[in-house]
Amino acid sequence: MTTTTTTDPGAMPVSDTNVHYDLEPEIFGLFLDPLRKYSSGLYRSPDDSLEQAQLQKLAFVADRLGVRGGERVLDAGCGWGSVILHFAKEYGCRTTGISPAGAQHAYIAQRAAELGVADRVTSVVGHFEEVELKDGGYDAVTMLGSIVHMPDLVGVLRKARSLLRRGGRLYVSESCFRSDAVREEFDARTGTRFVRESIFGYGELRPLSELVRGAETAGFSVTSVDDLTADYHRTIEDWIANVHARADRIDAVRPGMAEKLVRYLEVANAGWGYTTKHYALVCTKAR
Amino acid sequence: MPENSEQILTTVTDIVAAELGVPADSLTPETDLRGLEGADSVKVLRMVARIEQRYDIELEDEDVFTVATVSQVVTVVEKALAAEGAR
Repeated sequence: MTTTTTTDPGAMPVSDTNVHYDLEPEIFGLFLDPLRKYSSGLYRSPDDSLEQAQLQKLAFVADRLGVRGGERVLDAGCGWGSVILHFAKEYGCRTTGISPAGAQHAYIAQRAAELGVADRVTSVVGHFEEVELKDGGYDAVTMLGSIVHMPDLVGVLRKARSLLRRGGRLYVSESCFRSDAVREEFDARTGTRFVRESIFGYGELRPLSELVRGAETAGFSVTSVDDLTADYHRTIEDWIANVHARADRIDAVRPGMAEKLVRYLEVANAGWGYTTKHYALVCTKAR
Repeated sequence: MPENSEQILTTVTDIVAAELGVPADSLTPETDLRGLEGADSVKVLRMVARIEQRYDIELEDEDVFTVATVSQVVTVVEKALAAEGAR
C-alpha cells in the first residue's frame, strides 16, 4: 500500500518512501560504497574513504546497540541491506530487514547467498507500520534514515519498543530541522519541496526534540544522542564526487540521471548546520 | 516451575501488605489499594519495585498507572510474565 501526500495544493503527489529506490540497482552501485549503504558514514580522519567511513559507522551502530555477537536485529527501512548483511556476516546476528521497495530484496538475497549468510538474513517487502512481527523478538531495532518517511512517529516508536526484549535497544539516525523555528521557516520552501517531490518522497524532518519526546512518550529511556551532521555532509560530498566520476556509466543506465542525482544531492547537502542536523538517537527498553 | 494465578495472588498480597503496613489477611483480591490508609505514592512505587524484582519483570506504565485492586495487580504481573515468556 502506498499513501500519498502533498506539500501544497496542486503539487504533484509525493510517495511515502524514497521514490528512486526502485531505480536500476546498478545506479546505486556506481555512487555508493561497496555495501551500498545509503545513509551517513562516520569519518575518523581527513583521509578516510567513503568505504572506510561506512564500515566505521556500522561498527559505531553495533557499539551503541551493545551488539557483541548472535543478537536478533531488525532493520526498519533496510535499503540495500547494508546493516542486515554486515551484522549477519561480522557479528553472527540473525537479521531481518524491511523495505517497501521491491527491487532491493532480490539484491539482498543474492548478496546474502554470496556472503554465506542466507540462513541468518531475512528481508520483508512492506512498510514497518504494517508488517507483523514478533513482540519481544529482537535484541535491537535499527532505523537509519527511515523514520523520516513515517508519519505516525509515536506509533512507530511504540511498535519498535514492543518488538524489543526488555533491555533491548533502538538506534535511530535521522535528519532533523535544527529547531521548531527553522522548521516553520523552511518546511514549505522550494528546495525542500524539490527534494520531496523529485526523489526523497514523504519526509518529516522533525527536530530532535520531537524525536526525543516521541521516544519518551513511547516508553523508552534515552541512552545517547550523537551529532553526525558533519559526517553526513562529507558522505554526500563523496557521493557527489562518485556521480561526477561515473556520470557516463550512470547515464548509460538511465539517460539524464547523473545530473538529476547531483542536483538532488547538492540540495540535500546545502542546509547542514544552517537548517538541518543529522542525529543518532539511541533508546533502551528500560526505565 | 512458573507460579499459577493463585500463587501470584498470595505473593502479591504479601508484598502489598508488607509495603503498605497492613495485615495480609485484611486484603482480598477486590481490595482497592488506592483507598487504603497510608497508601501514598512512595509506598505504591516501592510495592511495584518489589513485585518487579520478585518476578524479574518490568510492568508497563499504562498498567502501573491504571491498576486499582490486588486482583488487577495479579493480572498485570501475569501479562508481564507472558511477555517475558514470548522472548
